[in-house]
Amino acid sequence: MTIHNLYIFDRNGILVYYGEWNRKKVPSMSKEEEGKLVYGMIISLRGVIEKVSPLDIKDNSFHYRTSKYKMNFWESPSGVKFVMNTDLNSPNVKELLRSIYTQVYVEYVVKNPLCVQGEFINSELFAQKLDEVIKASLSYTSRTV
Amino acid sequence: MVKQVRQISGVSCTVQLSKRILSDRIVAGTVRIHGPNFFWLKRRSQLDNARKMSRQTARIADPKKVNSELFTLTYGALVSQLVRDYESVDDVNKHLERIGYNIGIRLIEDFLARTNFPRCHDMRDAADKIQQAFKLYLGLSPGISNWSNGNEEFSLTFESTPFAEFVELPDSCSNLKYGNILPGVVRGACEMVQMEVQSWIIQDTLKGDNITELRIRFIKKLEDAIPAGED
Amino acid sequence: MPNLQIETEKIEPHASLSSIISLNQSKAKTSILDKSLSKGKQEVHLSCFALLFSEIVQYCQNRSSSIMDLQNRLSDMGKQVGLKLIDLIVLREKNYKRDIKLLPVLLFIRTTVWKTLFGKEADKLENSVDDPKQYYIIEKEPLVNKFISIPKDQKKSLNCASFNAGIVEGVLETSGFPAKVVAQSHKGATYYVITFDESVVVRDKQVE
Repeated sequence: MTIHNLYIFDRNGILVYYGEWNRKKVPSMSKEEEGKLVYGMIISLRGVIEKVSPLDIKDNSFHYRTSKYKMNFWESPSGVKFVMNTDLNSPNVKELLRSIYTQVYVEYVVKNPLCVQGEFINSELFAQKLDEVIKASLSYTSRTV
Repeated sequence: MVKQVRQISGVSCTVQLSKRILSDRIVAGTVRIHGPNFFWLKRRSQLDNARKMSRQTARIADPKKVNSELFTLTYGALVSQLVRDYESVDDVNKHLERIGYNIGIRLIEDFLARTNFPRCHDMRDAADKIQQAFKLYLGLSPGISNWSNGNEEFSLTFESTPFAEFVELPDSCSNLKYGNILPGVVRGACEMVQMEVQSWIIQDTLKGDNITELRIRFIKKLEDAIPAGED
Repeated sequence: MPNLQIETEKIEPHASLSSIISLNQSKAKTSILDKSLSKGKQEVHLSCFALLFSEIVQYCQNRSSSIMDLQNRLSDMGKQVGLKLIDLIVLREKNYKRDIKLLPVLLFIRTTVWKTLFGKEADKLENSVDDPKQYYIIEKEPLVNKFISIPKDQKKSLNCASFNAGIVEGVLETSGFPAKVVAQSHKGATYYVITFDESVVVRDKQVE
């Protein structure tokens, strides 16, 4: 099982963090363009999901899967959005995204006076803690080739 | 100082003690045991345990908590700095509210992370959660009262707040809204969960009122941000 | 008869004066000195303090032209806290007495003051080898730096624990030991470098 990469968007849709772990294909566009594309897609997708939903519930997470990878989306009630690409077998990515929010984002971005809201997260401490959480997660450790 | 303390079933034991310590309360010093003396061994371990426990209780400090007086005085240092930096008290009031707002938009993230609460569905729900937040963060239990007819406006009442401890307003600052950070925090926190509210202080113990009363009014529900070029 | 008139004249203003006094009293706020001092056991959540401190750092940063300036502003804020706080601690912990020797004061800061404020003692107290005026209180992880990640290019210079340095400076000043205190990052720890006034060291040698 594999974690490929992670996008974090703030409540206004600005890409504030991008990290990758096992991304084999190099993207053909810049990070900013890719971020906009991903954000546009998840918002549209969420709109469609809500419109066609046969049930009257609002969920703050969903994922889609291709034959090769899975894109997982989770949003905090305050509108911080996490998007993570994993392989198809990764379990509980929603929980992982939530714990990234509670254990890493809230602790080391929200409480860090040197992290300005709406700007790219430029903090070693954050990157280091994020890496720890990712590498300790089941999705990362139990990896198949 | 070596002292022979007790003889039990013919086995002697000596205890090396620092001067003022009684034989039964070995605190500093080493116990030397001659021969197999289980009584003392047991005694020793009991004392060790007791010492460990007392050390632990002395170190109760919860890593998630901070001395409220450090908080109070730090806030006080900030307010007095603002009073020095700005010419008018009105500007200080505005700036305190702004600082509160900045704290609110961050504090709500911490609150959501800790509680796993979803967004509020109405003001009653919001009032309840704001009350819980005060309990969690400041150890306060404000009362909720004075609901307006449409349930869109209410008051939080405090007997005291940690902000006002040690504070007395001088005459030159009689218009200073010392605790104006509070309405800012509430406004900022609510905005992040898509509720626009207005909040202001209507009674203040620092101004001679019996309680501090914070009024909160619902303005409107905010829509989620949509990326540019989408509808 | 004239005597009686004088008496009534005396009584009237007196009566009105006392009624004014009682009126004033009912309106006046209770003075802070009339309230009893709390035991100081209340606590607030770390997140509250962290975010308040974060705002203070940002406020100071917005008004500073350099890192040095920022640190000085933080230190000034801390000093305000230290100046006032020491009264509270001395009152509660030291039975109204204060130390008059230099080393006990420093030890008192390292242990009691730090414990009261941050729930733990500072890690070490050291004396400079070549300067008798200089002492270091060393702390591996200052509470105020817990959530702060300093960008690489500023790692050597910026340390937000300048706020704590200010507290130490305030405490020392109120205790009658004027000194300059700065926070420096060194080997992954924070050193509060305390440089006493010449007069303090001279006096300390005289007091035995």
